Amino acid sequence: MSAVLTIDNLYKRFPIAGSKQVVQAINGVSLTVEPGETLGLVGESGSGKTTVGRCIVGLIEPTAGTIRFRGTDLAQRQQHKAKLAGKIQLVFQEPNESLDPRMKIGDTISEPLLPLKLDRETRRRRTADALRLVRLNPDLLDAYPSELSSGQQQRVGIARAMVTEPELVVLDEPTSALDPTARAEIIDLLRRIQNERNTAYLFISHDLSTVRFISHRVAVMYLGMIVEQGSAETVFNRPQHPYSSGLLSSVMLPHPHLKIESSVSLKGEIPSPINLPKGCFLASRCPFVIDRCRHEMPPAETVGERHTVHCFRHEDVAASVPASDTFNVFMKEAERILGRAGPIGVAPSLQ
Amino acid sequence: MSLGAAEVISKTRNASVGGDKPPLIDIRNLRVTFPSGGAEPKAVLKGIDLAVQPGEIVGLVGESGAGKTTLARSILGLPPSPGRIAGGEVHFEGRQILSLSESELRRLRGHRLSVVVPNPRAELNPLLKVGDQIAAMAKIHLGVGGKEARRMALEILREVQIPDPERRMDAYPHELSGGMAQRVVIAMALICSPAFVISDDATSGLDVTVQAQILALLAKLAADHGSAMLFISRDVGITAHFCDRIAVLFSGEIVEIAPREPLFLEPAHPYTLMLLAAFSHSPKLRDSWSVPDTGRRRERNAGCQYADRCPIAQPVCRTQRPPFAEIGPGHFVRCYFPVRHA
Ligand SMILES: Nc1ncnc2c1ncn2[C@@H]1O[C@H](COP(=O)(O)OP(=O)(O)OP(=O)(O)O)[C@@H](O)[C@H]1O
Ligand SMILES: Nc1ncnc2c1ncn2[C@@H]1O[C@H](COP(=O)(O)OP(=O)(O)OP(=O)(O)O)[C@@H](O)[C@H]1O
Ligand code: SF4
Ligand code: SF4
Ligand SMILES: [Mg+2]
Ligand SMILES: [Mg+2]
Repeated sequence: MSAVLTIDNLYKRFPIAGSKQVVQAINGVSLTVEPGETLGLVGESGSGKTTVGRCIVGLIEPTAGTIRFRGTDLAQRQQHKAKLAGKIQLVFQEPNESLDPRMKIGDTISEPLLPLKLDRETRRRRTADALRLVRLNPDLLDAYPSELSSGQQQRVGIARAMVTEPELVVLDEPTSALDPTARAEIIDLLRRIQNERNTAYLFISHDLSTVRFISHRVAVMYLGMIVEQGSAETVFNRPQHPYSSGLLSSVMLPHPHLKIESSVSLKGEIPSPINLPKGCFLASRCPFVIDRCRHEMPPAETVGERHTVHCFRHEDVAASVPASDTFNVFMKEAERILGRAGPIGVAPSLQ
Repeated sequence: MSLGAAEVISKTRNASVGGDKPPLIDIRNLRVTFPSGGAEPKAVLKGIDLAVQPGEIVGLVGESGAGKTTLARSILGLPPSPGRIAGGEVHFEGRQILSLSESELRRLRGHRLSVVVPNPRAELNPLLKVGDQIAAMAKIHLGVGGKEARRMALEILREVQIPDPERRMDAYPHELSGGMAQRVVIAMALICSPAFVISDDATSGLDVTVQAQILALLAKLAADHGSAMLFISRDVGITAHFCDRIAVLFSGEIVEIAPREPLFLEPAHPYTLMLLAAFSHSPKLRDSWSVPDTGRRRERNAGCQYADRCPIAQPVCRTQRPPFAEIGPGHFVRCYFPVRHA
């Protein structure tokens, strides 16, 4: 088994205080991530993305199912503590939330090394390496988080995660609090680090355009289930699940003529995961719904290489709009519009 | 400075009005400052000119700290404290808003002019049912009775497509999802059919699916009620599909304004190109429109505000503020060397 991460039929329930009811946050998630691979995890708010991430890094315990890291069952995390130390890391959305305001940047970055019991020289080298990876000026080692821009703070968050040389990093919306330029820089950085170190990423995001760009594979979540999973290109160019298609149709690229064609426009919001509907979870919002969907849960069907879909009508969904590669068309357009040899100046005029 | 300010303003006037009709709202040379440690206050809005036609949706984009919220609030005569309006005029329905008294302003806000902000929970009173909060707006501003106000509240909740509106009238804010709370805040802003609505990043915390629904709704309401909107967003992509014109704000100045197509297909200001390059996912494009961060950026008084970050800056750029020139129909740019497209 070469995968870095293998999740098998994961469930997570949260009890509700003062009630017999439970929040059914994760309802049978299975996925794999290979070394050096990025799996993008997308889905509306409340679909369970963060909960999956928190189970992986061990912040919460799954209710059922297994999570393996390089074959080691993480339910026995404690027994394998030494082997696992620093191998799985997490980066949060709000950079300043994960940084201690009273701690100098240098100490923040090297802190995760303390439990690894490395000698001082190795610690120093690793810290310097992490700093170089995220392209932060070494002068900033003595600064405090409040002296940094939010883009720089997120670099610190990433350096702190990378300093232990992890094999898997869970990135939970690492760029959604950032301005476009800072976001683009962080994405470049993550790709460069992955190329250099072959790190695997679970990249959680609402920003489908970024996910399309950074991910090799993508998993689309709805109400605690992965409804479609496959290569980013296949899923984005020809989604086979109505929910994937609906999510894509709401993407707004900064180009007035480019819109992703879809036969699904999602109305309403994700239902509460407290009383899950019988049958397919999407039935109440799905334009492809048939009678069967309301009492039977569609099984996972393999429709291509490492490509699975949970939908009775996936063939009709796939055939409903022609395949299109709108994101690449957009990138070509951007090159045409922005990529001129050089700006042609006009004579300064003050009229 | 020798730039004929009046001339520049009158030029701006014609083009930033996108038409021959008198504008619904006309912002002229609006300047806002914040007290700073030093003798000179810090200029945060450096002379904003912007006019919006009835029925028009104008997008306002720019990075964090550019002054978008300051502009939104100053239009209503309420600059964020301790900021203060240092000059300029805002003409709306025959009146100059910035010269109105506090009580006249209060009557206008929420009635003829309203603003929708992000973080709907902070806007709602946690102890009152949402139906009563929406109805209160109609009672205060339109003087209608309690029963009529409730009828109107229910109708506007339906219009903002809250599921099960009858039941939601009696809900408390904490019982609503973020998307629903945002719809309630929009309902409150729209119940009096304001002529001008400002949306300040009001949808950016929501799911794209919900955003798409709310934006479609805002556009429909604007069309139905003939109202106009200033749509402030950090998400440039949305404005490409949703706004008639887009203004790009940089460091308290509108550096470019144009109808949607020329702005995205023929952007002319180096800052606009840099911003669009950030969305292209091409490091090469980004590099060609940005300069390495030297950490040397500072507030500039003379010359172009963008000079320290501009890859094509020339000596002239640092000495005098560039003019706001029209380079195409309704397409204005504040740059000595605007990028030309074949
Ligand atoms: N500790 C908890 N107790 C109770 N319910 C929880 C808890 N953590 C998460 N949930 C619920 O589980 C569901 C999944 O939440 P989760 O945060 O994983 O979603 P998400 O996909 O990350 O959403 P977002 O995009 O908003 O971050 C939600 O309905 C949430 O309210
Ligand atoms: N209390 C204050 N004192 C001094 N300067 C302030 C104060 N509040 C805001 N500013 C300045 O005003 C500028 C504009 O802030 P504003 O909130 O209008 O930006 P914005 O474009 O809305 O940003 P964002 O996208 O983050 O909402 C900031 O650069 C900041 O320096
Ligand atoms: S199984 Fe039925 S309801 Fe579910 S996504 Fe497919 S068509 Fe829609
Ligand atoms: S005026 Fe000069 S410095 Fe300013 S944006 Fe134009 S070219 Fe760049
Ligand atoms: Mg989350
Ligand atoms: Mg703001």
